[in-house]
Amino acid sequence: MDLVTMNILESTMVSICREMGITLMKTSYSTIFNEALDFTCGLADRNGDMIAVAEFCPAQIGGMPLLIKSCVRELESDGIEEGDVIVHNDPYRGGLHTPEHTFFKPIFVEGELMGYAVSIGHIAEVGGMVPGGFCGEATEIFHEGIRVPPVKIKRRGEDNEDVWKLLLANVRTPRYNYGDLRALISAVDLGERRMQEIFAKYGTDKVAETVSDLLDYSERRMRAELAEIPDGVYTFEDAVENDGIENRRFDIKVKAIKQGDGIIVDYHGSSAQARGPINATLGVTWSATYNAILHLTDPSIPKNSGCFRPIRVLAPPGTVVNVDYPAPEVGGNTETHPRIAGAVIGALAKAVPERAMAAEGCTHGNFVFGGHDKRHDEYFACYDIEVVGWGGRSYADGNDATDSINGNCRVIPVEVFETRFPFRIENWVFLPDSGGPGKYRGGLGYEKTLLCLNDEIVASQMTDRHELEPWGLAGGKAGGKGATLFQRAGASDWQTIAQAFNKQSSSKYSNITIREGDRIKLVMPGGGGHGDPAQRDRAAVAEDLREGYLTAEGARRDYGHREAAE
Amino acid sequence: MKFSANRLYVERYVKCHNCGILIYETDSEQVKSEAGSLYCTSWCRDWDAKREAAG
Repeated sequence: MDLVTMNILESTMVSICREMGITLMKTSYSTIFNEALDFTCGLADRNGDMIAVAEFCPAQIGGMPLLIKSCVRELESDGIEEGDVIVHNDPYRGGLHTPEHTFFKPIFVEGELMGYAVSIGHIAEVGGMVPGGFCGEATEIFHEGIRVPPVKIKRRGEDNEDVWKLLLANVRTPRYNYGDLRALISAVDLGERRMQEIFAKYGTDKVAETVSDLLDYSERRMRAELAEIPDGVYTFEDAVENDGIENRRFDIKVKAIKQGDGIIVDYHGSSAQARGPINATLGVTWSATYNAILHLTDPSIPKNSGCFRPIRVLAPPGTVVNVDYPAPEVGGNTETHPRIAGAVIGALAKAVPERAMAAEGCTHGNFVFGGHDKRHDEYFACYDIEVVGWGGRSYADGNDATDSINGNCRVIPVEVFETRFPFRIENWVFLPDSGGPGKYRGGLGYEKTLLCLNDEIVASQMTDRHELEPWGLAGGKAGGKGATLFQRAGASDWQTIAQAFNKQSSSKYSNITIREGDRIKLVMPGGGGHGDPAQRDRAAVAEDLREGYLTAEGARRDYGHREAAE
Repeated sequence: MKFSANRLYVERYVKCHNCGILIYETDSEQVKSEAGSLYCTSWCRDWDAKREAAG
């Protein structure tokens, strides 16, 4: 193994993936890409093994190995030619959820297939029952938008216009979708070009040999990390509070069997798949499991298919962790993923308490809306990501207002949001006391109030933690819950969505109509605390009080802070 | 995965009873348990049997 070349090649390939992502960001039309960065880019070898990836969206990073393998498998019989670009979003064939569109471009060198450039992005509008993709009340996949098996959107370098027409005829915002799909293709075009330069510089044999070594190296690094975790069987469970259809819990049960330098994560015993759209695909459950283990191990291990080899995931079909056709699934990638990852961390916290964090808010808010914008005489649709407090750790407070564990996305800045969509953001403030008490408290959640400026906006949501709080760890207490509230124009009282619109759930609903002057308040959960609150540094409590992170009452109640009581 | 004869659509999604991965018609390692459950490999069949035995 030539470690020097391997290191240079690995860094170069990761840089290529980053450059692909920046290209995607800069050329896209929708805020979900150019502001929120809900995408990632990677490279695969000819077998479909992921060999490098950029640090954008972890959900897509962990999902990529199964996704690429599944598509390569299906495309084998069709033949892949130079200049082809394949698009795919089928959640039952390795995909993550319907909005997540994956683009593959084969990399040929002198007529020989050497690998693939890959971009995955969350398309903001995919047709289906609601503008914005997240139908909180979907009961089958056909409610959730257009489903695309692996098909060639470009064939030998030329647009396959039939595919383009089909894709763009089935969405509400074809102009934006066209731009976003082009941006995803730009990314794989760049990846192909850059990798061809690498093959030209080093030679195909040397690159193939080094990449093989790199995957083995990552595997060895991960095995060495896992070997340090005490052998044992570790269990934990968490739940999604409802599915938008039935008002009951859906359990995620984890049994992590750590033995030697490998780990088996078994989800048998988890709830049967839901009628509503909280089900995770197999790709999501693989991704969530990898995500959790990456959080507990050395972050410098190169991220590729090699580092996932020692991890085996058992996800029984027909459950909330492995949805069967044709059940709905759009919330599995955003809400159930963090619940799965959190449960794996919760289980392994018993083995490696110093590395684990308490529960984070575990939701992306997923407030989606659309309508006809009277200012621009055009249909708009938006996927608005909101962020949460993270859990306290054994050495530090949780991060405030940070995207949930599988997102790594940014919120849309107020100025951009108000320019692009007919809402005014009236306030956006941290919620004091929302960080779970602990020696190290959870990060803070917040509330944001949106005033509708359009005649009519149709909104939907897929979120969670309105009822089940983010749990604390090692004696830490739960973080604050979320909420979505509605205020009719001219009224002074706030109602839950269930009250105002007669919905089953206030966290998962579809197609409510908001009119000019109405307000929506999004309350995002905080993170759980870590350790006994009585052990929190008194100076830290006083500082939280000064900063407004704690109320006087909260300081007294949760920390026995005497100055606050006087 | 059972595709139609012309391969234009999926007739049936087939998954391993234990790990949940898709099983394609050409997968050579697939095995069945005595009860008729399908597994992607004998490892998954044996693991599932051990789990059942352990209750």
